[in-house]
Order: sequence, then structure tokens, then C-alpha cells
Amino acid sequence: MMNKTRKMMSVTMLVAISILFHLIESMIPIPVPIPGFKLGLANIVGLIALYLYDEKIMLSVNLMRVLLASLLRGILFAPGFWLSLSGVLLSSCAAILAKKYSSMTRFGVSCASSAFHVIGQVIAVTFIYNQFLMGALLPILLLLSIPTGLFTGYLAGQVLERLAIERNESI
Amino acid sequence: MNKADKIFICLVVLSSFLLYIPLLLHDWQNRDKEKTVVVHYRNEEVLREDLHKDGVYTVQATMGEVQIEIKDDAVRVEKENSPYHLCSIQGWVSDTGRPIICLPNELVVQIEAKEATDNGVDTVIQ
Repeated sequence: MMNKTRKMMSVTMLVAISILFHLIESMIPIPVPIPGFKLGLANIVGLIALYLYDEKIMLSVNLMRVLLASLLRGILFAPGFWLSLSGVLLSSCAAILAKKYSSMTRFGVSCASSAFHVIGQVIAVTFIYNQFLMGALLPILLLLSIPTGLFTGYLAGQVLERLAIERNESI
Repeated sequence: MNKADKIFICLVVLSSFLLYIPLLLHDWQNRDKEKTVVVHYRNEEVLREDLHKDGVYTVQATMGEVQIEIKDDAVRVEKENSPYHLCSIQGWVSDTGRPIICLPNELVVQIEAKEATDNGVDTVIQ
């Protein structure tokens, strides 16, 4: 039986790890000349939260991550923050719906969340900068979201497998 | 991976190709027209130049000066100040479907096609 304090502590740790991923990812430039392309490492933690706990925990981990990471980088309520927020909201909703209403495995759920992250960011760019030009990048970003989605799904799966082994041993 | 995963991935790949078709079509329609380079900064036009005229232009943007070079019917961002320098890495662009977007500078460089005016419709009858 997992008690309430232990659950709260684990969720806090997940938030901390995801903030770290978010910050590291924004520091490492990717040598691909496509604006908006990134690996989505923080999404791994979101997926782990979704599979270990439930939808509510995942949503709160992701929202806390965006809020605190933006605060730490000093871009709270700047355009970059709204881009992250809209992306993460749409991607979390997509992952939750995909897990609940379809028979997709972790790979599919991860791909859904990364694809909808791209869509959310493009929508946010369209509204903030008032132009549809980012739409020209949507096809290539969508196409690239599949390999990154598979990558994060694979990593999340590996972590979950090891966590499951550890839990069985401790019980 | 199971069947549902594969179906979803195929759907996303298919839809990204479908989204690309209108861009290609737009490009193909504009291939013979006269083209101009238009630079937007925060939703207002700051530069409009002919694509056939070579030159280097400087524009003021959020993070300092941005140099835009036009040469051999192509345009690129030559120098700019941003964290990852994505828009100068992107290099030369010569068609209408691929704008150079620099989000940290809130700058968009795009090639627009002029509407054809040589068909004699533009006359005044007195």
C-alpha cells in the first residue's frame, strides 16, 4: 500500500526531474535548422507519471513543470511561456485520451502527445505573432514528431519496466 | 507496438504529407511570377525588395540588428543575434513556401509573388 505522503513525495520528485529535463533541453542547441524542433525529454517524465499514477497527476506534473521552469528561466508570461503552455496542455490531453479510449501502447501514446505538442505550439505561434507562416513548418514538424515520440516512448517504457521490477522486489 | 500504434503513426505521416501538398501547389503556381522579398517585424512590414536585385539590408529587431542578404534570386539572414542562430543556419531560400522565421527576433522573411499585371486589364477608359 502506498500511503499519501509517499505518493506526494514521488510526484514532487517527478516534477523536479521534469523541470531539470526542461531546463537542460532549452540549453542544448540542436543542429537542425528548423525552429521549434526539440527532443521532448520532459515528456518522458509526463508519460511515467501517466502510467505510474493517473491522468490528474500527469496533468499537474506537466503544468507545474512549465510554470516552474519558466519562472526559473525568467520568461514567465513571455511568448515562450505561452508556447510551452499551449503545447503541453494539448499534448497532455492527447496522451490522456489516447490511453483511455484506444488500445495504443506507450509508443502510440507518446507519439500522440508529441504530435499534438507540435500542433499546440503552431496554434500558439499563430495567435501570438498573428500570422499563419508557421503553418508552413507544420508538415515537417509533424513528421519529425514521430521519431522523437517513439524515442521518448521507448525511454519511458524502459524506466517503467525497471520501476516495476524494483517494486516487486521490495514488496 | 501494436496495430493501433501503427495506424496512428501512419495517420500522422499521411496528414503531414497532405498538409504539404497545398504548399507545393502554391509554389508551383508562383514559379514563373515576379517575386519580392517581404520582411515583417511584429506584424508590420519593414522591408520590401525585388528578389532580382542583389544587396544587403539591415533591419532593427527585438535582439538587435538583423542583416538580410539577397543574391542570385535567393534570400538569407546573414547576421543576427539569437540563442541558437536558427534563421542564419537555415541558409538560402528561393521559393514562396518556406519562410525564414526568427522567433527570438520576432522577424519573418518571406518571398511573395507579384500578381501578373501584363495582361492589359489595367487600363483606364475615359
